[in-house]
Amino acid sequence: MNSQFRHQLFAVLGFVLATSSANGMASDISFNRDIRPILSANCFSCHGPDKKARKAKLRLDTREGALWDLGGYRALEPGMPDESELILRIESDDPEEVMPPSDSGHQLTEKDRQVLGQWVKAGGKYETHWSFKQPVKNPLPKTRKKDWPLQPLDHFILSKLESNGMTPSPDLDRNRWIRRVSLDLTGLPPTLEEADAFAADKGGNAHEKVVGRLLDSIAYGEHWARMWLDLARFADTKGYEKDRHRDVWRYRDWVIDAFNRDMPFDQFTIEQLAGDLLPKPTTEQMLATAFHRNTMENDEGGTDNEEFRVAAVKDRVDTTVQVWMGLTMGCAKCHSHKYDPISIEDYYGVYAVFNQTEDADRVVPIMPTPTPEQSGKLKEMESEVSTLKKRLQAKPEGFVAALAEWKDQFEKEPLWQPLRLLEMKSKKKVTLSQSKDGTLSVNAENPDKDTWLLILEIPKGKPLNSIRIDAFPKKAGGKWPDKNVALRELTAEWMKDGELPIELSLKNPRADFSQRGWEVAKAIDGKPKAGWAFSPKASDAHAAVFDFVKPVSGGRLRLTLEQEYGQGLLFETFSLSASSHPTKWLTPELDPMRGMDRLFEKIEFPAARELQAKLNSANQRLSRLRNGISKTPIMRELPPDRHRKNRIHKRGNFLDQGDEVEPGVPELFGKLPIGAKGDRLGVARWLMQPENSLTARVMVNRVWARLFGKGFVETEEDFGSQGLMPSHPELLDWLAIDYRENGWSLKKLLKAIALSRTYRQSSSITPKSLAADPRNHLIGRGPRFRLSAEVVRDQSLTASGLLTRKIGGPSVMPPQPPGVWKSTYSGEKWKTATGPDRYRRALYTYLKRTSPHPAMITFDAGSGEVCQIRRIRTNTPLQALITLNDEAYMEASGALANLMQKSSDNLAQKITFGFRRVLTRPPKPEELKRLIVLYHQLKPEFSNQADFLSSARLDEGDPSLVALASVLLNLDETLMKP
Amino acid sequence: MNLPVNLQNTQAITRRHFFGQAGLGFGSIALQQLLASNGYAAQGKGYRIPAKAKSIIYLHMAGSPSQIDLFENKPALTKFHGKDCPEEYLKGKRFAFIKGTPKMLGPVFDYKQHGQSDQWVSELLPGLSSVIDEVCMIRSVHTEQFNHSPAQLLLHTGNSLLGYPSMGSWVTYGLGSENENLPGFVVLASGGKTPSAGKSLWGSGFLPTLYQGVQCRTDGGDPILYLSDPKGLGRKARRKTLDAIKDLNEYQHKHIGDPETLTRISQYELAFRMQMSVPEVMDLSKEPDHILKLYGAKPGHVSEAESAADPRRLYKGNDPTFANNCLLARRLVENGVRFVQLYDWGWDHHGSSPGESIDETLPIKCQQIDRAIAGLITDLKQRGLFEQTLIVWGGEFGRTPMMQNNVNSTLKKGFYGRDHHPHAFTMWMAGAGTKPGAYGQTDDIGYYIAENPVGIRDMQATILHQIGLNPHRFSFPYQGLDNRLIGPSEEGKVIKGILS
Repeated sequence: MNSQFRHQLFAVLGFVLATSSANGMASDISFNRDIRPILSANCFSCHGPDKKARKAKLRLDTREGALWDLGGYRALEPGMPDESELILRIESDDPEEVMPPSDSGHQLTEKDRQVLGQWVKAGGKYETHWSFKQPVKNPLPKTRKKDWPLQPLDHFILSKLESNGMTPSPDLDRNRWIRRVSLDLTGLPPTLEEADAFAADKGGNAHEKVVGRLLDSIAYGEHWARMWLDLARFADTKGYEKDRHRDVWRYRDWVIDAFNRDMPFDQFTIEQLAGDLLPKPTTEQMLATAFHRNTMENDEGGTDNEEFRVAAVKDRVDTTVQVWMGLTMGCAKCHSHKYDPISIEDYYGVYAVFNQTEDADRVVPIMPTPTPEQSGKLKEMESEVSTLKKRLQAKPEGFVAALAEWKDQFEKEPLWQPLRLLEMKSKKKVTLSQSKDGTLSVNAENPDKDTWLLILEIPKGKPLNSIRIDAFPKKAGGKWPDKNVALRELTAEWMKDGELPIELSLKNPRADFSQRGWEVAKAIDGKPKAGWAFSPKASDAHAAVFDFVKPVSGGRLRLTLEQEYGQGLLFETFSLSASSHPTKWLTPELDPMRGMDRLFEKIEFPAARELQAKLNSANQRLSRLRNGISKTPIMRELPPDRHRKNRIHKRGNFLDQGDEVEPGVPELFGKLPIGAKGDRLGVARWLMQPENSLTARVMVNRVWARLFGKGFVETEEDFGSQGLMPSHPELLDWLAIDYRENGWSLKKLLKAIALSRTYRQSSSITPKSLAADPRNHLIGRGPRFRLSAEVVRDQSLTASGLLTRKIGGPSVMPPQPPGVWKSTYSGEKWKTATGPDRYRRALYTYLKRTSPHPAMITFDAGSGEVCQIRRIRTNTPLQALITLNDEAYMEASGALANLMQKSSDNLAQKITFGFRRVLTRPPKPEELKRLIVLYHQLKPEFSNQADFLSSARLDEGDPSLVALASVLLNLDETLMKP
Repeated sequence: MNLPVNLQNTQAITRRHFFGQAGLGFGSIALQQLLASNGYAAQGKGYRIPAKAKSIIYLHMAGSPSQIDLFENKPALTKFHGKDCPEEYLKGKRFAFIKGTPKMLGPVFDYKQHGQSDQWVSELLPGLSSVIDEVCMIRSVHTEQFNHSPAQLLLHTGNSLLGYPSMGSWVTYGLGSENENLPGFVVLASGGKTPSAGKSLWGSGFLPTLYQGVQCRTDGGDPILYLSDPKGLGRKARRKTLDAIKDLNEYQHKHIGDPETLTRISQYELAFRMQMSVPEVMDLSKEPDHILKLYGAKPGHVSEAESAADPRRLYKGNDPTFANNCLLARRLVENGVRFVQLYDWGWDHHGSSPGESIDETLPIKCQQIDRAIAGLITDLKQRGLFEQTLIVWGGEFGRTPMMQNNVNSTLKKGFYGRDHHPHAFTMWMAGAGTKPGAYGQTDDIGYYIAENPVGIRDMQATILHQIGLNPHRFSFPYQGLDNRLIGPSEEGKVIKGILS
């Protein structure tokens, strides 16, 4: 431990001791502040809300419970500590008697005991847990310093500082402020032009102009979407063993767009939780429901889909309650909550709401979710197709007459003429009879398999171009139980009297329908393995047409029908016919003459033919566009008759089910809104009701935490009794109500914070301020903490001018060390982008759950496996190795060095230029001097200058400047918010 | 990354976590925790207990080896060999791949008794047999999960779903590292693939990412990602840049006064030292020949299987990758690394495709690990490290006494296979106060446990106990619960019967 660290430690202790003793005053004991934390930490696990775990039938989380008659005595005798069993037991010297028991791992301090005694003496009053009470918007507190506050929120901060004998920090200089606010609102540093314009703007609304510009920029939505994507457990793969790709980037883009449009938080909530249940949902509203399809799926062989479906539904319950209410219901899936009044019945009530969707550990249901650009094109093309169709329908001039004339010929010579059967041979002695219209029927015998030789008369006249087989449905209860037919091979021969049969080759096989794997072409491929068959449409009629390679006339036709598959897959009733018309007219339609009008239009009548060709090509382009549209997994409610019955899972085990439960919401937080059903839409509306004491507070707290490094409630994930108390409860409430009253506008909330005096404070720390408030609880300093993984990357890309500004689209693969992806049984590969996608914002980097980009996770980004309420910030040597050595940062150093090189001929100016591109402010003279010294030191020290340039992806340049640029990207100030 | 950090600025360590329960003599607790140079502010009073082990080497055979063919000599099963599996073993059971009524499959290889403890070990493991009197065989382990990914997660993180800290993270969170210049939790993988559950197996879950396992790579590239300086820079120029960073950061600290800046300076210096210390410890060429021979290690060897799309077809018995990792494990614990996790992939012997059979692949896999493991035990002993190093060996579940029948219903050479079996399997521990001999028993055919069942929670409780952490007290508050490796229930117990 270094001395600084130790110094700091004592400072912390001093602070805590001071505040604790202040809280120890008997006069103002607050149950929520002083008593509940002691009881919750030490007593509730055995004497709390969980009935099953409760010992000695004693419950201490409610006053009623504490006042229960325990057989002539009570745990709490208000006003009489000496009569209260609670006090007697905690004060007891008897190891058998003392509470908490020594083997429980809990232990009270002397001060705890004192405070509890004082509380009982003062009457032992209980209070509802603070966050379960409605927020109240109190008037702004009075402050001594009048000219400091700029925004209402400043009054709260200042008043608290003043009451603790502290003063706020001075304002930041303009360069640092614009860097801070740009990074906070957009995740990108300001350009030098923006910074200089702001510095020169002497108008009273200079700050407001900057904030307005930032909130209107598209980068704003990208940056704040990332915050939400952590909660949505967004990732590009499904998770678990195979961890395959999942196409869900359209949801990410939906979130970006929603933030940029400042979609009110209630609408944002309802669309994501229940967009599919809205009346006539739009594609965008359906897309929003992918929020809850980000749950993991397990594709591992042999897994039970139901097990992982249930796990996904539970994840949705946990995530919903975590994200909107800051509560953890997770433990209530096995037993009633030990600390907060949430029962196992409450849990499965909410579970029942979410357990009615179609998805089941598989990709489906999905739906096409075009981008706005694709939508536009889609509309355009669809209208082109429909115009062409209309024009075709309207029939070009002369069409009707021409058609009638054309069709006349079929009166004289029908399209198809039945072939007369002259003779047949069958291995199994099957015989066929032919009716007048030419239909052939099997007379007797029903062998499993057979081959037939049919000799047919070729009608006189024009040469025959094609033959056709019509298969009619087999009769129910007929000769063969299986209604399918398998014509494995069909061969044709030409016979003339006295000559040997000559084989006739067939081509262009076509059928109205073929079984998968038994396509009609396989009937003439010379291989008996497969042929033409009909399953699963075996009970319908079918037709196939084959053309002769060389037309035939005169003589006889011998057809061999090989039907040797077995299981009785033979023709029962069928007909054979031939045609001498052009083959382009001969389709395998069941009714051959139907569609001849269309055919004439399509291929015979020139004016129509042209339109048709245009239509075909338009249709092709349309279907290509449609295929290119991402299909996103969405939520879809089961129809009422398929709703699942819901039961409690005992100890959380889905195979061990208990009592049935009805869909509902936890008792403690009121009822579903009037008129709402017990479905996801009902729950979404319930979350957004003013009666729900948590939603607005949780969201405001979260936004505050992103800007100030920690929330008023530091345990963002736990607003329950195990969580920490808010540092500024009145301000949290004020902001929460204000947020709701402002139509749930995040931009308005952010604007109020960004323009506050509180946010404008310098983050410099003096030994005095460090001693007074080491962790900046009272916010008497500006926030100073490390930038997120994404911002560290995006900042270096921006400073070096490499950043590709493209919004949305499929996730991309910037450089990553080789061999990082080695997942089991997955053939998917990391294909490093070489074009502009190499330099996209980190938000777009492909996220594989079981193998996230190493530079991202090392900087504390998540894997997207489960909902991540806040990221835990660390400071490690691995981070240093990344910003020093990673290809991405080397490239940025190279590009930045090039910009510096071009900026001036003077070294000091070059360095100043680079310094400002990274940190906005100019270097202090000492800093500049040190960097100039470095520049001159470096040249002789490189092991190989050319190699070094190439590791920065440069062919030429100044290696010393590149190394210097890398130093700029590695400064503490660079990695921290100013 | 499990290296010293400034806790003050590790934001997750909220005041409550930081000081233990506020108000409870927090001053002294915080002091103790912070002044102990290696220990962090783990939650839960009294979580530290006297330790038997200083380090853990965990050898995980990913895919799960067949206990029936390695440790469970079952004459009764041999008698049933080739007969239908009795209905009682199938009723109400879920299998990954077995369908209908499978045939019983007796042990495929010969067994002999070894050592003074007369333990049955298959002919496939002559090396292990030679050191069997050092080993505590646990023949009665069972799990709740029968698919790889969830079973591996349950074993290493205490939860079958993703998102929980792994055992190594817990241990380094509780105890820190003994060497400032090396990560405290190192992962080494062989067999050509990472295990099914991927890097989540060494993720830190809700603990700070500082505690996630650091994978050291042995494929010829950087042993730790991004460890090497950019090409052409050179150590001297690197030093100059770091000196400048240090000076500028110190200047920054003088003006802004944020202690985090000092931490940053020290982390950059540590990174510089790691660039030397990590390659050094990972360099096996410094080991004398007789030690290399003892393990069967070959410095610098990069196996073809390590980068193959399907490495299973390329497995060779003399592949030294696993042996190299065992030797590295010794070097790492020797240098104070707390938790060394080895994963060897390729033990999922279903017999349904080439490269995954009991009769052909298992002997190859055994050859790859057997000499190395015996070498590791012998080497740790001769260095006096065995008594302070806990070795754990096993898969994520066992394999069925029946043959798997979804592809072949009769036995075919190269296709002998067994399905996943969660109900009974063998793991072993050695060193650090574990008692050599056998613990637990299964029934005549090795299907169910007959005596002394050991759950996954018990294994975890015992491992934590040996390293000096009370498994019941050692926790981290997250999502309203004091989370523990052994889960929220009280089912996990230290296995007293295997401790000396």
